[in-house]
Order: sequence, then C-alpha cells, then structure tokens
Amino acid sequence: MNLQTTSPVDIHQFMNNHLVDVFKTMLSMNATLLADGPPTHFTDRTTGSVGFAGDTVTGAVYLHLSSNFANQMATAMLGLPPEETPGEAEVNDVVGECTNMLAGGLKSAFCNQGHECAVSTPAIIRGTSFQIESLPDVRQELMVYECNGSRILVEVHVKYNQTT
Amino acid sequence: MPLKILSVDDSRTIRLIVGRALRPYDCILCEASNGEEGLVVAARENPDLILLDVTMPVMDGVTMLTKLKEDPALKAIPVIMLTAESGRNNVVQIARLGVRDYLVKPFKEEQLIEKIGRNVTLKKKEAALATIPAPQA
Repeated sequence: MNLQTTSPVDIHQFMNNHLVDVFKTMLSMNATLLADGPPTHFTDRTTGSVGFAGDTVTGAVYLHLSSNFANQMATAMLGLPPEETPGEAEVNDVVGECTNMLAGGLKSAFCNQGHECAVSTPAIIRGTSFQIESLPDVRQELMVYECNGSRILVEVHVKYNQTT
Repeated sequence: MPLKILSVDDSRTIRLIVGRALRPYDCILCEASNGEEGLVVAARENPDLILLDVTMPVMDGVTMLTKLKEDPALKAIPVIMLTAESGRNNVVQIARLGVRDYLVKPFKEEQLIEKIGRNVTLKKKEAALATIPAPQA
C-alpha cells in the first residue's frame, strides 16, 4: 500500500463550482472565489464539518464562517424576516446542512472515480480561537470566497490510500 | 381528502423548506428526523408519499427504505430520496431498492414540487399547510 500523491478529483475545481451552486440555490447568495485570498481569520467563528471515509480515501470538509455571516445564512435559508435573529440551533442546522451538501457532492465525485466512501452526519464547532490540525500524509486544500461582504473559508482534508 | 406527505430528514431546515414548498397545496406534512421515527410515522399516518434523506443518525435512509419495502402494509408508498450524494453507485443502489425518484441537494423548491407532482396529484389550496411535527427526541 502506498500513499497516492495526485488527487483523482480536482478538489479546487469541484468545490468552486459546487459551493457557488449551493449558496445560489439554497440561500440565493452569490459567492465568489478569491483567487489568491489572504489568510482569513474570524474573531467569532462557526464551523461546520462533515467527514468521509472509505477504503481508499478518507478526509473531512470544513466550512468556516463568521458567526455573523452564519446568522445571515440561517435567515436566508429559513426565510426569516431580516430583523429576526435565528436561534443557535437553527444556525447550526443550516451550517450543518450546507456543509453536508458540500461534502456529499465531493463524496459523489470521489465515488464516480472509483473511490467509494461514506459521509458522516454534520458537526458544528463554535469558538473564538481554534484551528483544525491535519495529520501527516493528509492533503489540505484551502479555498476562500467572498459573499455579501463576508469571507467564507472551505478547508478540505483528504488522504488517499491507493492499493498497488 | 388532503394528501399526506412524510418528510424524513435529520435537518429541521430541510423539513421546513419542504413544508414551505408544499404550503400552497392541499397537503398535510408529517415529519420525522431519522429512519426509525420515519417507520413509526409511516405506519401511523400511512402517507401518500415519503421524502427520504439518506445520511441520518439512528437509522439512515437506505435502511429505512429497505425495511419499508419489506413491510406489506407500507411497501407501496412511493418514496423520493432527497440526498446530497449523487454518485452513480449511490443512485443505482437506491434505485434497486425500489425508490420512485431522487432529488439531489442543493435543490430549488420548484424542482421538489415537480418531482412530487410526478408521483402524486398536487392540488392548490388557499388555507395554510397543516403540519404534524417530528416526535421530540
């Protein structure tokens, strides 16, 4: 068994198209990829995460948002009046579901390339200062988007185990 | 008689979107947040159609669909899978289990209504959609 160094799926290309589609379709929001996006720091962060695992590929998709923008997403997706503040459970559900759509799409792309895997249910992390550490041999892909004046950071961790 | 539609999804947001899409129609929406609850609600309410998520805690959609098709009282209920996963094998697997149709997330409400309308007859109504909420965990 060895570690595959080239990805069977162009994660950047896939995620760029898919995130724009998810935000447009579910939130009626236009997200734009920032080509050389500067490092994005959130003072108050809401992160959705969904893992995927199979015999030849494992990893996780993280969707990092400012808590303020996560609230905006929940307001848009739930169709709440702009003056109404969504509850934490509602925000968690919306962020979790959007992360699930991103990870589900990526999972399908892997499966179509012969890398069968399953996805987990979403989890939410909230905080002011935390970092996702990746293990050795795990590829880390970062993509930064701008949407309604806010930054969105998508982080994909992936490890390929290619039987040779 | 209004149509009875069961939405089985662990995301309250998705169930809410389904309810919003169906609001103009003469429907009663029943809800469940996982496959186990979904089987209980399906047996109790005998819905005309089930909208079923795939990845859920407690019991996933594929397991619920399998059990549904094994139950003579429930197996004829048409099922539309609502899933974030569109991989070929995934689609083939759920098709073999007898699913009527599937809709990949993200989806527009009009797409959902179109899929539902292919399987049951939706009639517009004036009054608000009645909802039977998911049992509390």
